[in-house]
Amino acid sequence: MGSSPLPEWASEPCIMGIDEAGRGPVLGPMVYGCLYCARSFQKTLASLNFADSKTLKEEKREELFEKLKADSSLGWEVDVIDPRELSAKMLQRVKINLNEISHNSAIGLVSRVLNMGVLLTEVYVDTVGDAEKYRIKLSERFPGVNFVVAKKADSLYPVVSGASIVAKVTRDRALRDWILDESADNMHRNFGSGYPGDPGTKAWLDHHMHPVFGFPTLVRFSWGTCTPYFKDIVEVIWESDKLEEDGSNSNGGKRQLKLSNVGFTRNKKKSEDIESSGKGRCKFFQARKLELVANF
Amino acid sequence: MEEEKSFRVSPPESTIGGGGGVTGTIDLCRRDPSSAVDLTDRVHLLPCSIKHDGPCPVSHYFKPRDLDVVVDGSSVEEAFFRGRKLQGITVPLPEGYRGHVLESKKSGKGKGFGNLGRGRGRGVQTVGFSRAEFRNLTYWNHDIVPSSDDPLVRSFHWFSVADALHKPVTAEEMSSTSTFPD
Repeated sequence: MGSSPLPEWASEPCIMGIDEAGRGPVLGPMVYGCLYCARSFQKTLASLNFADSKTLKEEKREELFEKLKADSSLGWEVDVIDPRELSAKMLQRVKINLNEISHNSAIGLVSRVLNMGVLLTEVYVDTVGDAEKYRIKLSERFPGVNFVVAKKADSLYPVVSGASIVAKVTRDRALRDWILDESADNMHRNFGSGYPGDPGTKAWLDHHMHPVFGFPTLVRFSWGTCTPYFKDIVEVIWESDKLEEDGSNSNGGKRQLKLSNVGFTRNKKKSEDIESSGKGRCKFFQARKLELVANF
Repeated sequence: MEEEKSFRVSPPESTIGGGGGVTGTIDLCRRDPSSAVDLTDRVHLLPCSIKHDGPCPVSHYFKPRDLDVVVDGSSVEEAFFRGRKLQGITVPLPEGYRGHVLESKKSGKGKGFGNLGRGRGRGVQTVGFSRAEFRNLTYWNHDIVPSSDDPLVRSFHWFSVADALHKPVTAEEMSSTSTFPD
């Protein structure tokens, strides 16, 4: 990824565009990609005319990506965020929401390129959340760099359109080549685009729903799309949710996908469902969660 | 070492929910040696309560993998369940101990042993038996790095305490202890 020895143009003032692919789907990785070049190359870049990657056909995008990779005046990087990481972070005790995950990925790309020794002076990104807040966050993190945060940045800035192609093709390939972790019979890989509205994806979800395990880990469990499928899922009560309901939650006002929305019930269950209260037992046993079993 | 063949279970004197419990024996010897199942390396304690009893394709969906992390001498593994990332450690049962998966004799569906009705028989009946054995188990934490402070690891302290409390005193130990201070 990117060039190995640093190209000469990297020591000139450089610009970079960042875009993502796969934010909406319920399946597969989310990919953040970036494209960078010398500022002096900007005009040539504009003439390459990428247009909005979403309107291009897959073959055309692939072709463009190969062209970008072959161009020695361009550098590129990707951060492929595994769906397991997305679910894990959004379902942690102290949850990390999707915007924060996105911000961190973009920040990671800028860091990576700077650490390579590239003289980045301007970075163009698409808005995630509040544009001004995002710009301030980025500027504070990288004081020497000028950040432009704009809606539809991929249609405004060629470096971002280029980054969009890098991200999209990387995501498409990752999904196409995805190997399911799970080894159950009757699983297949015709998951469609992964978008909730895609009939192929819906059919795949229907077919792969398991009452205890939910879905294969290709699926983002933290996505609202999963909720209707979890209507009849076996109930699972987590220790960490129980603690949360007791008020010691530092999340406060952050708007998160409610766990109850993805089929996890909380609040109503007595703690006895998970463990006994330890009443009447000495500290040695209580601390070690040991109880005398009378009925089992 | 002589292996315990069975142990006796009976309800305590006062039980919430009424009496009517039965004293019985749970047979730890395999009912049918050819059907013995060894679940060593395959028993997992999750940090959640799953409201389901019954067979499940665990090995098809639950795929622990080794992280290159060692904590307190044990290697930490990672796995996912319902989208949550778990970290676990495999703890061996101490020497001389064995884990058993028990099944009640009354109902093969594993409905439990409690309150099998007022015992009418005079002899002690077998109320359950061992279906499988294991020599270690893996416990999993959600968002808490496993360590020897975890409740399961600490619960194993009971083994040495029980030993100290209940091991029969040998004749030598008796004689080497003086009973009257001078």
